[in-house]
Amino acid sequence: MRTHRPTLVLAVLLLLLANGCRDREVTAYRVPKEKEAPPPMAAAAPSGGLPADHPPVGGAAPGAPAGAPATMANTAVPTASGAGLSWTAPASWTPKAASAMRRGSFAVKRDGGEADLSITAFPGDTGGLHPNLNRWRSQVGLPAASPTELDAALQHLDGQGLHFDVIELVGTANGAPSRMLGAITTHGGNSWFFKLLGPDALVAAEKPAFLAFLQTVKAP
Amino acid sequence: MHPFTRQVRDFFVSLKLTVVLLACSLVLVFAATLAQVELGIYVVQERFFHSFIAIWHVGSLYVPLPGGYLVGGLLLINLIAAHIYRLKFEWRKAGIQLTHGGLIVLLIGELLTGLWQEDFSMQLSENETKSYSESFRLHELAVIDTTDAQFDDVVVIPDTKLARSETVQHPKLPFRVVTRAFYPNAALARRDASAPQAAGSAVPAITQGMGSAVAVTPLPITYKPNETNSPAAIIEIIGADASLGTWLVSPELGMPQTFSHAGRTWRLALRLQRAYKPFALQLLKVTHDIYVGTDLPKNFSSRIKLTTPDGRDDREVLIYMNNPLRYGGFTFYQYQMNAATGLTVFQVVRNPSWLLPYIACIMMGFGLVLQFGLSLLKFIDKRRTTSTPAAA
Repeated sequence: MRTHRPTLVLAVLLLLLANGCRDREVTAYRVPKEKEAPPPMAAAAPSGGLPADHPPVGGAAPGAPAGAPATMANTAVPTASGAGLSWTAPASWTPKAASAMRRGSFAVKRDGGEADLSITAFPGDTGGLHPNLNRWRSQVGLPAASPTELDAALQHLDGQGLHFDVIELVGTANGAPSRMLGAITTHGGNSWFFKLLGPDALVAAEKPAFLAFLQTVKAP
Repeated sequence: MHPFTRQVRDFFVSLKLTVVLLACSLVLVFAATLAQVELGIYVVQERFFHSFIAIWHVGSLYVPLPGGYLVGGLLLINLIAAHIYRLKFEWRKAGIQLTHGGLIVLLIGELLTGLWQEDFSMQLSENETKSYSESFRLHELAVIDTTDAQFDDVVVIPDTKLARSETVQHPKLPFRVVTRAFYPNAALARRDASAPQAAGSAVPAITQGMGSAVAVTPLPITYKPNETNSPAAIIEIIGADASLGTWLVSPELGMPQTFSHAGRTWRLALRLQRAYKPFALQLLKVTHDIYVGTDLPKNFSSRIKLTTPDGRDDREVLIYMNNPLRYGGFTFYQYQMNAATGLTVFQVVRNPSWLLPYIACIMMGFGLVLQFGLSLLKFIDKRRTTSTPAAA
């Protein structure tokens, strides 16, 4: 029996190693429905995530949290560069993390519902006003509209040295009645998009706050 | 004994093999240390130590080296074989035997840790409840049937299968999922939906979802420790009769993408690999204390509520630096925090073999004390016997 021991040891080790080298498989499971999670990129910690004096831990980038949001923390996305805009949000809005594609992000909560406010900026006119308005229409399940119809639906708002084209769209998103308030302005050769999207009643109730928020947006 | 068996035995028992393997491990550690400058610690661990063969890039040369699994595995076999055939048990050598035993346990412990350890993270905002942790690096494509009002039926496809462009036909899916393109790292930017992808781009057409208004720019994989890769994939959903279209999936896309098929609603998401737990954590409060009158950090802590579906556990726990929560085989360490936005991140570690290194160290320490103690006694005894005649 003695001579079989090395073979046995070898076999056990190979089995262990084979176990370790197995590929990840396609799996299926059932989980209780989650409450509507915030968009992954919006969940990231703000730039400088940790307190300035937080000890570096785990070798991860300071300010890059460990989960999903960390994934784009440092990759180069061609968003607008140059001086940004600044704003003052209502106290009831919860700041969420900015990300590579978002310059600002807020959770707007009311009566148990939640809407998402995103602020993005891109170089140039990003295809022009009307295509962007139609892109927003498609996000709430509305068909594309003609330039004349779009112009008629636009509201114009002058803030602190900035002019906003504001549109309000009612439709469905993710199978639920939804409303979108969108505003577009240009600054320094970049297009800035402010979009509040969420449950119909919530966004309707938040409209005054959204318009007041736009009034606080200013160039440095 | 058969001559061949004897040869194999002699090879594994050989002390020369031990010396060669120790030399190999020296070279491996040296090469890995140099490679770490370019690749970072995680990739070096995977390529040099969690592999059988490691390829070391020296300038334009590719130097193959025995990987950690090969060196460690052979060393383990060598050590065990030597114990069986060469080192006969004697009480006066019990210390050496015990020390070697400890080394064997240490090697087995490292092997099992490499095979079984899970190192995930869990990010929570205040009042948020989660019952899953997420990988730091690995991704998965989740195809979720959201039709049921209470539950989501999820089919997850690992990113390794996407990278190999494998077609996935799962019994729970009434369609096939075909990967048309996979980018381990890609940048996304908004573009006019009517404009094509950049000239010369090899990115396949995206016909459905918000990806049609996004420009995809593949990027080289980054190995820098302070940078992360953001994958993207273009997948085609093919029903029984026809294709339903192609979608861009990426963790960067902020909104979930849904479509309807066969009377059911489906959602697509490329996300960090999830590991669900049979319990849930709710973040109640994060606290960042500083020493009064200074900005010096004193403590980072997260108060959480731990609950199980059967109601057996429903209690509050305080997790802070060096005081992790150990539950269900998992350890939750306070990892990162942003008190200003009420955000905390736990490192979630599961290592069934975590005790082995401690046992190994105790065995080796005890073995060395025993061996040196026995040698000392022998030395004293010898000295006494040699000095006695001189005195007489």
